[in-house]
Amino acid sequence: MAEESPRVEGLVFDVQRFSLHDGPGIRTTVFFKGCSLRCRWCQNPESLRPVPELMFSSSRCLPDCRLCESVCPRDALAPWSTTPIDWDRCDHCGQCPAVCPSGALRMVGRYYSPEELAELCLADRSYFVSSGGGVTLSGGEPVLQSPFLQALLPLLKQQGVHILLQTAGHYARRMLEPLLPFLDAVYFDLKAGNDAGYRQWTGGDAAHVLDNLAWLAGQAANLTVRMPIVPGMNSDRSTLAAVAQQLRTVGFGEITLLPYHALWEAKLAGLCTAQAPLNLAAEPDRDEIMGTLQAHGIASTWG
Amino acid sequence: MGHTARQMDQLDYAALNPVPSPMPVDEPIGPLPRLQRLRADLLAAPYELCTQKAELMTDYLQRVWPRRPLLDRLARWHYRAYASTLLAMDRSADQGAADPRGAKTALALTASSWLMRLYCRSWRLEPQRQMRLMAEALRHVLGHMELRAYDHELIVGNCSSRRMGAPIHPDFAGMLMLGDLADLSTRSVNPLATTPAQVKDLQERIFPFWFNRSVMAHAPGWIGDQRLLLEMKEGRSFALSQIAGISHVTPDHGKVLRLGFAGIAAEIEARRRSLLDEIDRGRPSRGQREQLAMLDASAISAQAACDYGRRWRQHLLELAAGESDAQRRAELSELADILAVVPEHPARTLHQALQSIILVHAMLHQENFQHGMSFGRLDQLLLPYYRDDLAAGRLTPARAVELLGCFLGKAAELLPLLFSRVTEYVSGLSSASGITLGGVLADGTDASNELSSLFLLAYDQMRLRQPNIHVRVHSGSDPGFLDLCARTVGRGGGMPAFFSDEAVVPALMRDGIDPTRARDYSIVGCAEWGVPGCSFPAAGAGTVNLAHCLELALRGGMLNGEAVGPATPPLPQLRTVDDLLQAFRLQLRAVLERAATANGAIERVHALLRPTPLLSTVIEGCVARARDVTAGGADINTSGLQGIGLADVVDSVVAVEALVFSGELEPERLLAALDDDFAGESELAERLRWRLPKYGEDDPRSGEMAAAVARIYIEEVGRLPHPRGGRYVAGFWGMTTHQGMGSRTGALPSGRRAGRPLGNGISPQIGSESRGPTAALNSAARVPTPGNGMVMNLKLNPALANGSGGAAAVLGLVRGYFAQGGAQVQFNVIDSQTLRAAQADPASYRDLVVRISGYSAYFCDLTRAMQDELIDRTMHG
Repeated sequence: MAEESPRVEGLVFDVQRFSLHDGPGIRTTVFFKGCSLRCRWCQNPESLRPVPELMFSSSRCLPDCRLCESVCPRDALAPWSTTPIDWDRCDHCGQCPAVCPSGALRMVGRYYSPEELAELCLADRSYFVSSGGGVTLSGGEPVLQSPFLQALLPLLKQQGVHILLQTAGHYARRMLEPLLPFLDAVYFDLKAGNDAGYRQWTGGDAAHVLDNLAWLAGQAANLTVRMPIVPGMNSDRSTLAAVAQQLRTVGFGEITLLPYHALWEAKLAGLCTAQAPLNLAAEPDRDEIMGTLQAHGIASTWG
Repeated sequence: MGHTARQMDQLDYAALNPVPSPMPVDEPIGPLPRLQRLRADLLAAPYELCTQKAELMTDYLQRVWPRRPLLDRLARWHYRAYASTLLAMDRSADQGAADPRGAKTALALTASSWLMRLYCRSWRLEPQRQMRLMAEALRHVLGHMELRAYDHELIVGNCSSRRMGAPIHPDFAGMLMLGDLADLSTRSVNPLATTPAQVKDLQERIFPFWFNRSVMAHAPGWIGDQRLLLEMKEGRSFALSQIAGISHVTPDHGKVLRLGFAGIAAEIEARRRSLLDEIDRGRPSRGQREQLAMLDASAISAQAACDYGRRWRQHLLELAAGESDAQRRAELSELADILAVVPEHPARTLHQALQSIILVHAMLHQENFQHGMSFGRLDQLLLPYYRDDLAAGRLTPARAVELLGCFLGKAAELLPLLFSRVTEYVSGLSSASGITLGGVLADGTDASNELSSLFLLAYDQMRLRQPNIHVRVHSGSDPGFLDLCARTVGRGGGMPAFFSDEAVVPALMRDGIDPTRARDYSIVGCAEWGVPGCSFPAAGAGTVNLAHCLELALRGGMLNGEAVGPATPPLPQLRTVDDLLQAFRLQLRAVLERAATANGAIERVHALLRPTPLLSTVIEGCVARARDVTAGGADINTSGLQGIGLADVVDSVVAVEALVFSGELEPERLLAALDDDFAGESELAERLRWRLPKYGEDDPRSGEMAAAVARIYIEEVGRLPHPRGGRYVAGFWGMTTHQGMGSRTGALPSGRRAGRPLGNGISPQIGSESRGPTAALNSAARVPTPGNGMVMNLKLNPALANGSGGAAAVLGLVRGYFAQGGAQVQFNVIDSQTLRAAQADPASYRDLVVRISGYSAYFCDLTRAMQDELIDRTMHG
């Protein structure tokens, strides 16, 4: 990020209104694009790269249309073939979505000015008031766009909007610190326990994350720690024990467990990401996981 | 802008007590066996045609209706010729082909309508004679109709001779069924069981008798204009319903409860004496003779109502005597005792009051058509009886739920009778009786009470398709009551619907209704607000195809080379949105004027030929004015005209502005594409449909256009002269008219293809809700509140709407919408069936978003296997 550029823009890949599961009440969840982790189970693979990118939905593609083929400068498109998009050639220039009549080709991720995004969020203010809801910052990793958030959040706060941050905590603390005064609640997602596991599943650095978690816990923020449970990856006893140990270290006694759903894999076919489907085995034994955590002094609930 | 509730700061939701008040009962009321049995019986009952009223009314009037031997013989011959021509026309219409004998048929129909005029002239309709005839005929029907008490019932009173019956009304437009009669029991839409004897009697006796005596026979003569008659029949530009009978009204049940029909008869007699005093030794004027006849007819009707209660009492005593089961015998005896009191005398208990209301409902349906005959604010009317009973130890809350459940069951027995072509416009077989709960008292404070909640608990036990349960919401509504409403909605079934007092009361006051009465509004039928007991709102009088008016505006009044509307500048000559809206206004005005002309003629025929004296005894103002309800006797007179296709017009105007007025697309090319239903222009169609902002997506320009188009409609409807000296009022709703009219409307600039359904009420078009319910509601909140109701339909995933979290979300939507000025919203909680339909027809469901914890996806973007998984998950809950 450039320092003090006159116009800070935020890169957002989705704004989901009437969101009921990302905090209290009726919420508008803003999904920021760009992430510093590469979790193997990431459910929003379109959120990872910090640039707008092309996405293709074959079910919307019109037969015999092929307008896109004619505009593609790099000859990367063959929508009715087994490989609709040659991702090695595609440079996400955005010309094909502009002509696609049905929206089968679309750019994921667009830039918003703080004012524009605030206006979009405030469109549902009336429901925030009526339901005790607000705005949830999700992603991707929203905190990576800290300069933009520093411009956006005051606009929301002025209107009394409840703001909740969902974060994985994998960034330099100076990016988080200026946001804290605006946050009414933080959902902090732990992905794995020990260093090796964290790096294996997410490509990230656990120490960094835990440092930020400890700092947040010390700030008396309205903090909820959560963890996605991905069967066969981070659901084993040793991982859970390590997570529990770390929570106790920062003085935290409880965690919300998030069940894993495989439905996101449908998105992969239309994306350039190299992520592979997980083809996971059966559901984990929820009681057993809760028992393991309990044995290590951590209360847990399934979210 | 005149919409006071728009600023949310005016509604102090934050000040509301967040703690739900206690439920009216300490213990949850479990499933009541009696209600479960009643419900099962009702659901198992076959749907049947009821010809009882038709037979009895004909029996009587055949004897007393003045004869014209020559004309009657001519009419019988004419009927046979007419019937065969009509059948031939229906057949060719069904095959979608032009009538092969087109010219000959047209000639025959013209001759037929001249003959009709001859009959009408020859009778010189005298309202005073007709009033007495109709009152006497009603007395005959009430005196001879079969009384049917069903097992387990604690409230009796059958509207028809069948458990689930569709009465036919030959005095109105029953003859429209002529074409359907032979295969009524096997037709593809809404079949009704018939007996050969019924069909034979209708064809050979009843229809021939009414052929030149019904509203349907006389209305064309009063409408006169052949082109207008054809337009009416076509149902493309507008559709009128009142030819089917008087309906869509809420009688003054409170008056019957207070006075009984004996008291009403005394009032009538007092009025008659004062009228005689006025006449004072001189000869009565023509007007005074009519007034006297009206009062005589009312007196006959009120007496018939008393006699009807006695007949019921006698019948129940006989049933009790023959009953072997001791408990049932006691129940029947108790009912007999109740019927010794009501409806003749004032009600004293909740049971008596409920019984009185159902009996009035049953009697009114021996006179009037079963569509939107509504009950009003029953939680207000019945509260004193409930509290007295409770205080006296006569009643427990559980018993009250049982009684209310029995009541709801009785109100579910009627089916509307519709000929197959009309079924497109009003399918679903609801006779749409409405019950209204909650709201404010005359002083503006909360009116919801323990009975409001008990009604919902009773509904939850019955869960039948009707009556419609409507809930009035305001900023001071009891949170516990609202929570119960939301939980009830979350369990599916779409009831109750929510109405905002902050939007509706001012809308009624803008139409000149005083604040006390406006605060007492209730819902007539589906979504129409009106003052119960003192209005004749004819709320369902007609529907007008807004999209058709836009089609005409784009083409300068021409359609398929024919000048259908006034000459306005066609699209190539239009430069701005204002130009387009002005052309739309002029086309709309012309359609509205024709619709009002035809409706006015129908209303006049009702008043002259088929007055409704019983209804007039229970509508405030009729006796005082000594004027029948059909002639404008009610205190408040309106007729509702509903605009259909608001979303389509808005989306089309926005599209024309974005592409044509910007210079990007030649107007000729757009018009050619529309004429050809986008043949060879599918990319343009896709672009119009999916790449432009839509109403429902909270797009500012669409919102402005929605407000502008709706305002034009409301203004133009308000300009029309009204036949009963009241006013026409606008609505935006229409059962399934959006489908019927849609099938007769060509392709639109919104990208909607020819023949596809139009938008429903003020709901966005299918596929335009991709930004979720809050965006859709924000768009809808831009539509100004009209005088005759509107419908905003929201689909919710059951996973979101269930349970306490779901209830909070539902209420959050309701209150957030109402805080912005929204007036009405109803919820459809989608089940796995819908998801399967989406699987089979993804194009129509592409905005169906499934949300699972942290992320979202379009259902149709999921793979088949994943869709299946989701369907299974939804089923298991």
